[in-house]
Amino acid sequence: MSWPDPARRFEPAEDVQLRAELRELLGLGAPLPQAAAPVTEELTRLAEDLRREALRRRRTERHRPSWGLVAAAALPLLAALAGLGTWGVQQKHRADAMAGQVHQRDVEMASMAATHATELARERKAREDAQEQLELVARVLPRKSLPYLVIPVNKPVRLQGEDYQRVKETPAQ
Amino acid sequence: MEERPQQTPFGDMEAFHGAFAELYPRLVSYARRYGASFAEDIAQEAFVILMQREEPVEHPTAFLYGTVRTLALTERRPMKNQNLSLESVSEPGLGGGADDEVLSQEVRERMRLLAPTFREALWLFVVEGLSIREIADILGIPEATVKTRIHRAKAQLRDQLNPNGGVHVLA
Repeated sequence: MSWPDPARRFEPAEDVQLRAELRELLGLGAPLPQAAAPVTEELTRLAEDLRREALRRRRTERHRPSWGLVAAAALPLLAALAGLGTWGVQQKHRADAMAGQVHQRDVEMASMAATHATELARERKAREDAQEQLELVARVLPRKSLPYLVIPVNKPVRLQGEDYQRVKETPAQ
Repeated sequence: MEERPQQTPFGDMEAFHGAFAELYPRLVSYARRYGASFAEDIAQEAFVILMQREEPVEHPTAFLYGTVRTLALTERRPMKNQNLSLESVSEPGLGGGADDEVLSQEVRERMRLLAPTFREALWLFVVEGLSIREIADILGIPEATVKTRIHRAKAQLRDQLNPNGGVHVLA
């Protein structure tokens, strides 16, 4: 019995056509219907020998523990990666916490600045109000006296007993 | 006690024997075309390698041809002429097998004039009767490349038939 090759059973029509054209170009003519190759006793024996050899090789083949070797080789790398990942996650948590603190501090500073600005504005307003009141009062009330010159002195000008000289009266002529 | 699994890459035992009877002479001939000194050994080794595999093979024929090609080129490697693919097609005494009885001298001469890469694809497609997919598997190239090579081989054959000119169209 000939072996029906599935790859040729499902060959596209265009490939079959191309093969026919090429055969014609080569001068081979149309392909003859393939007769089944005779399965002789010699070929069958050879096939059986080869099959047994293949089974023997399959049994005696040393199976390399490929996955185990790959896993063993990759273990240090995986451990290093895991450690690096853990460290990275910790660093990220720390950075997030510090960023939160800084943000909180910024919010507090902004709040304090707003409070101070409000108080400053209130004080300025009060000072302006007082100034206006003073100006208003000064405008309404008359002045008590005219301005006079004041000369500052170091010590009071007062005559003491010893500060004058007694002179003799000149006799009348 | 011997283990006798009934399933082979070709199906049951009867199918295996049929495939072996059909493919073995062709593989021996194919190995000879690459200049292999021990073509029978190479063909048998290819069968053993195929049967030894535990994973199923999608295209057993292509696998066998590819293995024979690799083994034949490996055998020729010390001779440093493995790039001469199918060069022995036109060499008397080397190209062997039943195909040489089918192919006339004129056909062999036409194929000899083709570029080696085109000749290889053309041989597998026309003489061996393999599909584009199988040839791509054997040569380790994309199917589109196989088609391109075959179409270029066709164009070169047309040029040989019309040496004075003529326009051919690459499909």
